[in-house]
Amino acid sequence: MRIRLPGLYIALGLVLAGLIHIVAVLALPMLAPKNGYARLASLGPTNTMIQIPPAAPGQQAMPMMAPDIRYAFCRFDLTKGPVRLTSKLADDLFVIALYTRDGDNFYSLTGADMKRPDIDLIITTTDQTVEEAGVDSPESADSDIIVSSPVKEGIALLRQPLAGPSRTSYAEKALAAATCAPYAKSG
Amino acid sequence: MRSLIYFVATFVAALILGIGSAWYMIERGSPLTTTKVGPWDGWISAGNPNADFYTRAHVARSGRLPLTSTVARYFVARTDDDGGLLSSDCEYLVVGGALNARWWSLALYDEYGGLIANPSSRYSYNSEEMLRHSDGTFHVTLSRNARPENWLPSGETDQHLVLMLRAYGLRETDSSGIGIIPNDRLPKIERKSCG
Repeated sequence: MRIRLPGLYIALGLVLAGLIHIVAVLALPMLAPKNGYARLASLGPTNTMIQIPPAAPGQQAMPMMAPDIRYAFCRFDLTKGPVRLTSKLADDLFVIALYTRDGDNFYSLTGADMKRPDIDLIITTTDQTVEEAGVDSPESADSDIIVSSPVKEGIALLRQPLAGPSRTSYAEKALAAATCAPYAKSG
Repeated sequence: MRSLIYFVATFVAALILGIGSAWYMIERGSPLTTTKVGPWDGWISAGNPNADFYTRAHVARSGRLPLTSTVARYFVARTDDDGGLLSSDCEYLVVGGALNARWWSLALYDEYGGLIANPSSRYSYNSEEMLRHSDGTFHVTLSRNARPENWLPSGETDQHLVLMLRAYGLRETDSSGIGIIPNDRLPKIERKSCG
């Protein structure tokens, strides 16, 4: 067969290249073997607050971690009910951020948003109510922040940027006091 | 026979073009997804649940969990102002001024995002500890050997370097609440000498 239309091959090539481009972009998040979620998830069990050691050469839970931020995280699992996070604020630089498996930061709260020196946050799925899980009294419910999560499993990442080298131990202590646990019915 | 060769050649060209363009737009960004100012790249929607597919793929590949861009912005530089790759073999002067942010930090990494071992355990300077001149500007030297003022050690091994500027609580935002750093505020990266 004679090639009468080299332009046809160019057009075919471009269409094919476009399709391959789209497939590659859509498939990549699934093919990426170790996204941030997977890296942290392997460090410990669910519904437990885990402090990440300060970033140092050869000792980083994720690439490009900040050496001057202290981190702690909790991989929350809401299949058995809501999960409660508590933490002390070292200062207004504190940030708590909730992520899906894909790394979508669907909720964040900074120390500057808070009027009180401690955070008490309950994560639920959209079909769970905290009342069902048993809030003791309306007053305590008022003081809690309730976040409805689009996913059953995700990560809460706590960041405490250091406001100067002298603040390091203070920041580490504040994060060490953070907790994460299933929100228990209390009597 | 000839048409088969044309077919195969077309397919191979399409594969290279398709995957190459996808790789470039995910790894380095494009005007659709990133702010490019001099050597600095900032992904506009990083961490945002409504982000486009390129940004999501970039975040997944990076292995990081960035804060959504309404809370913090990240800018990465792999080159100096003239476009040369940052290298531990050279000495650079980074000059910047005040950023309108609650807290910011300039950190140096190897090309894989790992911190670089050095005797003084110095990996970054943040807004609270940076030494500044009386006019508010700061000078940071990236180099192998100790330098006065703010020195970020680039390590003993020959390697490419990556600078990251992270800014928390930017006071200036666009209409969707994404933090903005005016273009002329991002630090300049000047190569001083090599070898």
